Amino acid sequence: MARIRECNTAGQRKGMASTACFIIVSRNDIPIYEAEVGSALKKEEAAHQHQFILHAALDIVQDLAWTTSAMFLKTVDKFNDLVVSVYVTAVKKIYGHIHCCFIVFILLFSLTNHIIHTRLMLLHDSRNEDGIKSFFQEVHELYIKILLNPLYLPGSRITSSHFDTKVRALARKYL
Amino acid sequence: MLDPASSYLGKMLLEEITPVVMVLRTPLVEESCIKNGLNFVQMLNPFCVFNNIDVPVRTVSDQPYRLQKFKCRLFYASDIRQPNKEAANEHLKQVVIHASEKDTTDLCSDPPQLENILTVAKTESLPSWFQVFNKELVRTSAFSEHEAFDHPVACLLVVSSKDEQPINKFVDLFNTNQFPSLLNDGAMDPKILKHYLLIHDNQDGSSEKAMNILTEMKSTFGTNDCRLLCINSAQEGLGDQQDGAWLPYETDTSLDQHPGCFLNIDDLNEMKDLMQDLSSKHIIPYMEQKIRVLNQQVSATRKGFRNQIKNLWWRKGKEDTQDAPSGPMYTFSSIESQIRVLGDYAFMLRDYELALSNYRLLSTDYKLDKAWKRYAGVQEMQALTYFMLDQSRKDAEYCMENAFNTYLKLGSSGQRNATRCGLWWTEMLKCRDMYKEAAGVYFRISNEEPSLHAAVMLEQASYCYLLSNPPMLRKYGFHLVLAGNRYQISDQRKHAIRTYRGAVAVYKGNTWNYINDHVHFHIGKWYAFLELFDVAIKHMLEVLECSHQSIVMQELFLRDFLQIVQKMGKTFEVFKLQLPVINMPSLKVIFEDHRTYASPTAVNVSESLWRSLEEDMVPSIPTLRINWLESQPKYAKKYKDSNVCVAGEAIKVEIEFRNPLQISISVSGVSLICQLSSENEAKESAELGDQSVSGVDGHPLASGYQNDLELQKLKNSWELNAGSSSFILSEVDFFLGGRETTVVQLTVTPRVEGILEVVGVRWKFSDSVVGYHNFDSALVKKKIVRGRKARQSSSSNLKFTVIKGLPKLEGCIHRLPKIAYAGELQRLVLELRNESEFPVKNMKMKISQPRILIPGTLEDMNAEFPACLEKQQQSTSSNLLANSVHGSNGLLFSFPELVTIGGGTTFLWPLWLRAGEPGSISLFISVYYEMENLSSGMRYRTLRMHYDLEVLPTLDVSVKISPCPSRLQEFLVRMDIVNRTSSETYKLQQLSSIGHQWKILSLPSDGTICPSQSLVAGQALSCFFKLENCSKSTWDDSVSAHSAILGSDVRLGSQGSEESIFDISSTPVADFHHYERLHQEKSNQGHPSIADFILISQLQETRTGPSDSPRLFSHHACNCSIASTSPVWWLMDGPRALNHDFSLSFCEIKLYLTIHNSSNAVASIRINTVDANPSTSGPLSDAVVAPQSLASFGHQVGWHNVSLTNDTKDSSDAVGSQVGKSSSDGTAPFIWSASSCTLIKLGPMSTTKVPLQICLFSPGTFDLSSYSLHWNLQFSDDEVFVAEKTIQSSSGTSQGHPYYLTVLQSP
Repeated sequence: MARIRECNTAGQRKGMASTACFIIVSRNDIPIYEAEVGSALKKEEAAHQHQFILHAALDIVQDLAWTTSAMFLKTVDKFNDLVVSVYVTAVKKIYGHIHCCFIVFILLFSLTNHIIHTRLMLLHDSRNEDGIKSFFQEVHELYIKILLNPLYLPGSRITSSHFDTKVRALARKYL
Repeated sequence: MLDPASSYLGKMLLEEITPVVMVLRTPLVEESCIKNGLNFVQMLNPFCVFNNIDVPVRTVSDQPYRLQKFKCRLFYASDIRQPNKEAANEHLKQVVIHASEKDTTDLCSDPPQLENILTVAKTESLPSWFQVFNKELVRTSAFSEHEAFDHPVACLLVVSSKDEQPINKFVDLFNTNQFPSLLNDGAMDPKILKHYLLIHDNQDGSSEKAMNILTEMKSTFGTNDCRLLCINSAQEGLGDQQDGAWLPYETDTSLDQHPGCFLNIDDLNEMKDLMQDLSSKHIIPYMEQKIRVLNQQVSATRKGFRNQIKNLWWRKGKEDTQDAPSGPMYTFSSIESQIRVLGDYAFMLRDYELALSNYRLLSTDYKLDKAWKRYAGVQEMQALTYFMLDQSRKDAEYCMENAFNTYLKLGSSGQRNATRCGLWWTEMLKCRDMYKEAAGVYFRISNEEPSLHAAVMLEQASYCYLLSNPPMLRKYGFHLVLAGNRYQISDQRKHAIRTYRGAVAVYKGNTWNYINDHVHFHIGKWYAFLELFDVAIKHMLEVLECSHQSIVMQELFLRDFLQIVQKMGKTFEVFKLQLPVINMPSLKVIFEDHRTYASPTAVNVSESLWRSLEEDMVPSIPTLRINWLESQPKYAKKYKDSNVCVAGEAIKVEIEFRNPLQISISVSGVSLICQLSSENEAKESAELGDQSVSGVDGHPLASGYQNDLELQKLKNSWELNAGSSSFILSEVDFFLGGRETTVVQLTVTPRVEGILEVVGVRWKFSDSVVGYHNFDSALVKKKIVRGRKARQSSSSNLKFTVIKGLPKLEGCIHRLPKIAYAGELQRLVLELRNESEFPVKNMKMKISQPRILIPGTLEDMNAEFPACLEKQQQSTSSNLLANSVHGSNGLLFSFPELVTIGGGTTFLWPLWLRAGEPGSISLFISVYYEMENLSSGMRYRTLRMHYDLEVLPTLDVSVKISPCPSRLQEFLVRMDIVNRTSSETYKLQQLSSIGHQWKILSLPSDGTICPSQSLVAGQALSCFFKLENCSKSTWDDSVSAHSAILGSDVRLGSQGSEESIFDISSTPVADFHHYERLHQEKSNQGHPSIADFILISQLQETRTGPSDSPRLFSHHACNCSIASTSPVWWLMDGPRALNHDFSLSFCEIKLYLTIHNSSNAVASIRINTVDANPSTSGPLSDAVVAPQSLASFGHQVGWHNVSLTNDTKDSSDAVGSQVGKSSSDGTAPFIWSASSCTLIKLGPMSTTKVPLQICLFSPGTFDLSSYSLHWNLQFSDDEVFVAEKTIQSSSGTSQGHPYYLTVLQSP
């Protein structure tokens, strides 16, 4: 704990939105995309600590996701100074999106509609809720574009470097 | 919900918040008690708890109620103080250590399954030592001055009967300064209830003396407050066994005597009576009374509207006086302390309503006073009271949180109270099934505590998450890890491992790789500390493939892993070691049955290619029936489902190893694990295998167990092999850099017959860890199957039937270059070695590209190259291709019957190489041979060779032939040569035409065509030659060019040079020409071919590298056709100049038109002669500018004066420019005197002569081109189709060639 806190304060001293770990978790609780988007220097221990915190937060998300229809669940969990914000993709939303864009994909999507409740999770220490919300929304759009790729198997790891660059750019913009 | 009193927290409160009795005793009292192994307080402790005391209690209300359960706590006066922090921590540590020692779970066993944890958590309670620990932790904050329930209610003064002057002792005891600070500081009322007890040890004699003292005491202190207790009545340690009474209490005796050995039943009863009397007759009534008194006081001063106003006013007044964190000092006499005492007494006597009202009253006071610690204490009690009343849960939680936060705000002084408060809070939440919230509180406590306590708190938090509904397993795992870290910090490794084991169960099989690495790495390290290396390594193995980690972490993981292995002191054997990673799909098995391979590249060629190549060379079916009884060859039947390999010949297995890490690793001793068994054994084991497989299906084994089984199997077979000599294994060492991949070729060479199975692979990593990996046949699948794919089941891919040793040829082509130049002619040598003892015979060879590679003759071996190609005097037309058959896809060449290759000998055979066109070329050569001894099943084998060749461009040769306008049997040949190389210079040697009917001549008939003879890089050259048709009468071209290669050569150098001419009809050149012709025929259809040419050149010697032999190039231009639009050629024949005396008569001249039909069809030809008609001829000016097209030429009839030079100059252009010039005397025409229209039919390829005649009337020069030829080809039906395809037109008109006739007036 103490170590986490230290590394945190170190980040804050640098100014900016120090720690921010973004992760996309598939329905099977498999992380399909991970990115450290904070400005703080990345530490060796940070990687597993962030995973631990985010993984544990899934328990809370699980409870929370069914109680609200909102996609942005705001802050769901926190660990010392680190806060976990979550955005849950809902099947309704994705379906609508696809419907208006690509009729062709309706069939495809109906086959793969188990993408419900893919969770976009952000571990952060700043309290900029609006920015985080915008960040999630834009990343969600990117994610949908990934899903529309017929070669992408839903639930598999996102390896697109384009996606990665875009996410990092969004992080710089909003966080 | 259950009754709060019977809940865990309720019980705890009933135990912990009870009246305290302060004990003051003389040393002699202890002396008597210690005989039993107990001190005085310990001795009495079992009798302080009353489950059915049944005392009526009446507090403030008029209604008495009965108290059933009661407990009082005995403490020595010296113990009534805040416990020392260090001592308390040490004590707690002991509790933890004790727990870890008592922990019975086997740390070495597999981590518990998640389902097990869940069910266990539901049914059983958590480890009981948590409760002990919590209780001890609560006790560390005891005897605080701000709380009254730990303040002694009564004082028990104990004096032994042995003491001198016992009465004085009693007085002394109470007057000495051993009082706790609570009393001395004035935090509590020193006037407390006193009780005097005289202890008599029956071993010291009769109790008479004691009785006397008692009466004395009674007279001094009052009858009710004095008592006598006789102990140690039992003789010689045979007291009534009442061990059970003391068991739940801690005793600091570790003596062999059991506690209470001198106490008999009377003593025990006496003690029981003592405590009961003390409680029911003294303590409880005293408390009752005190409550009533205090209540009156409180009511008088604080209750009622007036008092409240007053209080508020008064409080406000002193608001700004003190603001110390501890708040103002309250003495026992202050009203606040009295309210607190009242509340606590009421709580202890379970008048919760009363307690609550007082606590409420007090909390506002303390809050106003900013006495935060006291405020928190009151809030805490208020919450507990709410809980005991089981009402207003919200309020209870609010108060608790308030108290907790307030304590925390105080910093270190409130920390322990905060912990206690937190623990009560968690218990309260747990009681109400709010496990999630309880976990949160535990987590908050852990933040404030030293690491060991925090660890215990976090572990409890994790269990709370587990118990919450639904279970929050991820939180559970996370908190276990946090707890484990804390345990580790406080050196509690066993606990740390225990928690991590739980976490491993949670995280098992998830893909959060950093989490998994962390958990496995740390648990592995800790196991290693405990010297449980097996388990340690098991966990460390999980983190080895950590390609996602940074290089620092990878190094750390690897270093620690190797350290652990070293510490273990033996080489560790691992099944499916992840370093390096084996790419199973890359597994490739190369073995040689009847197909053998000369080089690895030959192996990689697809089997179908080889098979199509060998199609007509090998016997069509492998069933070589020796006699009719044997329906199938033995081996084919027997080894239908397994591969065949030959003893003594290596089976190669290629595997790809990949290093997932960024750091380099060394791997040594990589070798295969094989089993070689005789056929019978193999059958049995196969049956056994089937059984075991079915067994596995029936009872699915745990994967770990199965892995162990696999490992054991591999190890066994490895050890078995180490001793046996039935096969030889190769060993490979290699070094893999970060993220590198390498393909390793391993071999196994069986030595005896039997069934060989390749089971797996074994390697040594970093010289300390031995990795095993089995070749799961299911994974291998079809990848490795070479050959009989369709018939093989995948399971037997790695099974080989080893048959008896056979001769095997090894072969290579010497000096076959990787890079060749187009057209270069090279002699190569095919070397075949027979390493075995037996000879081979009946050899055949198949070459895929006979255009590029052809076999030579034995004579070529010894001949000098290229001299052997030079023209000899007597041309020995060798008949090389007699024993070769040109198949559909290659050249089948049979070696002479006599050729056998004996055992251990080497056989050489020449080959000729000539690459025709630039590009890359793959050569496939397959050599077939048969064995002498037919004892084994295999009768023949093939040796497959594969070479890749890059051919670079050299010279581009193109030839254009056009008919000679002046002679029918002659053609003009223009050869364009371009040197496409960048640096080489070529020396042009000779040009040869092929075919007996053609003769090539240099155009200036005796001149030198190319004096320099050399063509430097990038240069182009055009040469002209004349081609003569030697055949006199017949145009029949039925003789194939190949069968009799005759030709004529033109030396391109100076004519007089002594350089010999190369014989283009000699073996390699002629053969290559044959294939070249076949090839070019395909690509060049259409025009009827006329002639083939071969240009021979040499590479000019470069100054830098003297080559050993001149490099000879031959370029073939085949099927060159004549560039002409018409298939009908003709030539006017007749006198060119003559004298005639026109004065006598007009001149009659006979001419002949020789017409040749060069097409394959019958041509009907019509010759029209047009008499000169001046009127039809255009004006002169027109004629001058007349274009050279045939159409306009047709109108240009009549007399023309043409300069004679034109003829010779423009000989190449038959219908060349004609400078039309009207003859000076255009009035003198000539007329065609024969028939003006002649129709003839001309067969294909035939020639005829048509006579013509003209009459001249005056001397002059005449152009006799005023005729035209209409030809019409009459194709037969099948020829029409061909004609349509080609560019040939079937009919046309040609104007006559210019023919100049000069007639002079004869003198």
